[in-house]
Amino acid sequence: MFKMRMTIAAAALAVLASTAFAQAPTAPIVIGASTPLTGGVSHFGQHARWGAELAVEEANAKGGVLGRKIEIDFQDNRCNPAEAVKSVTQMLATKKYAAIFDGLCSSVALAIMPLVERAGVPFIVANASATSIAEKSGVGGNKWTFKVNPTDASMLDALISWLDKNGKAGNIAYLGEDTDYGRAGSAGLELALKKRDRKLVMADYFQKGAADFTSVLTKLKARKPDLLALYAIDADFQNVIKQWYSLGGGIPLTGRVLVDQVPKEIMASGFLDGTTSVQPYDPSVDTAANKVFVEAFTKKYNVAPMLISFESYETINILIDAIKRSGDASPAAIRDALEKTKYQSILGPVLEFDGNNLIHNNAIIFTIKDGKVAIVGMSKT
Amino acid sequence: MDPSFLAQLLLNGIVIGVIYALIAMGLSLIFGVLEIVNFAHGEFYMLGAMLAYFLTAQWGFGYWPIILIVTIVALALGYVLYEGLLLSMHGEGFERSILLTLGLSMVLQNGAVFLFTTTPRMLETGLSYSNLVVGDLRLPVARAFALGLGLAAFAALYLILYRTRIGKAMRGVAQNREAALMVGIDPRAVSRLAVAVGIGLSGLAGAALAPVYAVHPLMGFSFVFKAFAIIIIGGLGNISGAAIAAIMLGVLESLAGGFLPLALVDALAFVCMIAVLLLRPQGLFGRGVRV
Repeated sequence: MFKMRMTIAAAALAVLASTAFAQAPTAPIVIGASTPLTGGVSHFGQHARWGAELAVEEANAKGGVLGRKIEIDFQDNRCNPAEAVKSVTQMLATKKYAAIFDGLCSSVALAIMPLVERAGVPFIVANASATSIAEKSGVGGNKWTFKVNPTDASMLDALISWLDKNGKAGNIAYLGEDTDYGRAGSAGLELALKKRDRKLVMADYFQKGAADFTSVLTKLKARKPDLLALYAIDADFQNVIKQWYSLGGGIPLTGRVLVDQVPKEIMASGFLDGTTSVQPYDPSVDTAANKVFVEAFTKKYNVAPMLISFESYETINILIDAIKRSGDASPAAIRDALEKTKYQSILGPVLEFDGNNLIHNNAIIFTIKDGKVAIVGMSKT
Repeated sequence: MDPSFLAQLLLNGIVIGVIYALIAMGLSLIFGVLEIVNFAHGEFYMLGAMLAYFLTAQWGFGYWPIILIVTIVALALGYVLYEGLLLSMHGEGFERSILLTLGLSMVLQNGAVFLFTTTPRMLETGLSYSNLVVGDLRLPVARAFALGLGLAAFAALYLILYRTRIGKAMRGVAQNREAALMVGIDPRAVSRLAVAVGIGLSGLAGAALAPVYAVHPLMGFSFVFKAFAIIIIGGLGNISGAAIAAIMLGVLESLAGGFLPLALVDALAFVCMIAVLLLRPQGLFGRGVRV
């Protein structure tokens, strides 16, 4: 009787084990994501989410990866490093993620980096642009962090090089948000100008979420620089542009101006003519792959993609490509596969990570002339 | 130094001061009568701006009808807020009212994020891009209207409080609720009116400032903490004190902003608040009597 019971128990265990083994390969591959879904830059977080979800949806429509579906689990970080540390620590402790995606804000990405290093999970940065992220990655120390978008330093070097060639890099003032993003902007500009024996004539920083900029804009106007470099996003950007217009600024902008978010009336008035900006993306880039992306994104979300949505879409595609090549979707294998990435960007170039786990896609230089935005060049970052 | 530079800073400061006053007066009135610090005040300002945006963008209402409609809706909302939530707070402790209004603030803010998303919106009216220009001085028409509305609101509130029977009743309830009841004043009706007027003022501020600033669910945050500092500087519950402190702070911030880094300017309101708490805890204009 005892022998019979043992046989039944062993058979049951075998069935259970075989079921478990049969289930494991079909369980979805889960990517953890930390992005601002509430708070001051949640509008950007929303676009980051949309871009990432579109890439996941397209991959799943093609049958998934390694025979498994992909899922992406979003956690809110409010663009706050402390919130991000709390939520990502919890994510890493409670679930097995193939990789962690994004952070969006530079301060947040920098705070997540030591966590993923300790946990041994790849962290792939789509939007945060602070130069220090790449400086601390790959040969810089953190082998688990990969950055897909160009650094501020590389983009601003491309911008200043273009301005210098056109004799416009002489007298630039700076206004940026008081975060790692804004500080990286002024540091990148200082560095690019120093290479050409120039420097910023003035730099000031505002608290994110501030509504009124009239006093600092009055001060900037009185200093009469040739160009005002601006590092502001979301509602801050809208408020600065509107108040700059109201004060009759009369000085063109530069830096990372979100030309697609300038109110139509201000753009059409010619007030911003002479503005020269650098960004990693614009929906009007004329490649077949970009047109397909813009059409798919607009169809799904009823709005055109912006820089953030593009970066998230492309980053998730790079991650999915690495998962595919990893063979088993384990974090270590994905990390190794990411290092060997050769990915055809929808902007044209084939992308590879350098020694600092940084990809060097093209930066796009825009100008505004006669109230219209024109791409004047693409520069390798 | 260019005098037009100083004049522009002064003008900017007066306008921003009146904008602060518009928000701080409602907060001060509610505290004065009910001894409740309304942490959701910024969210009512945001809802006013949101309503103004949708009335313009969806239904094409003009500036003045929007001001009227939003103020009336905010007054009604204040009435409901008092009857639905704040009425139960009387005699139940200061801490409960803080937790309740803080919770309400979160519900309203996240509810707005859920319903409207966080996309910043620009209210486009005929006034949005018009400026008054005198020499080198520039003042956007929308700001000039906000300035006028702020001054008119202060004058109206002052007249109501000091020249009408209902105003006297409000001041009576603020000074001694039990004594007011004994002389035949209905504290519930007076408190309800004070909350309705306070929320009405924040709605008016939202509608007046919707063409000035980007409209989004988190916009209340930028002003409400400064409004707290202002009502402490002016004297808790003192409406005139709050209005004067708001204009003083606006001018001080603007003049300082013309010469100092912004990070220092942002700290000014709170440095002043700490100085007032240390040197004159009842506030610059506080007389130990509220409203």
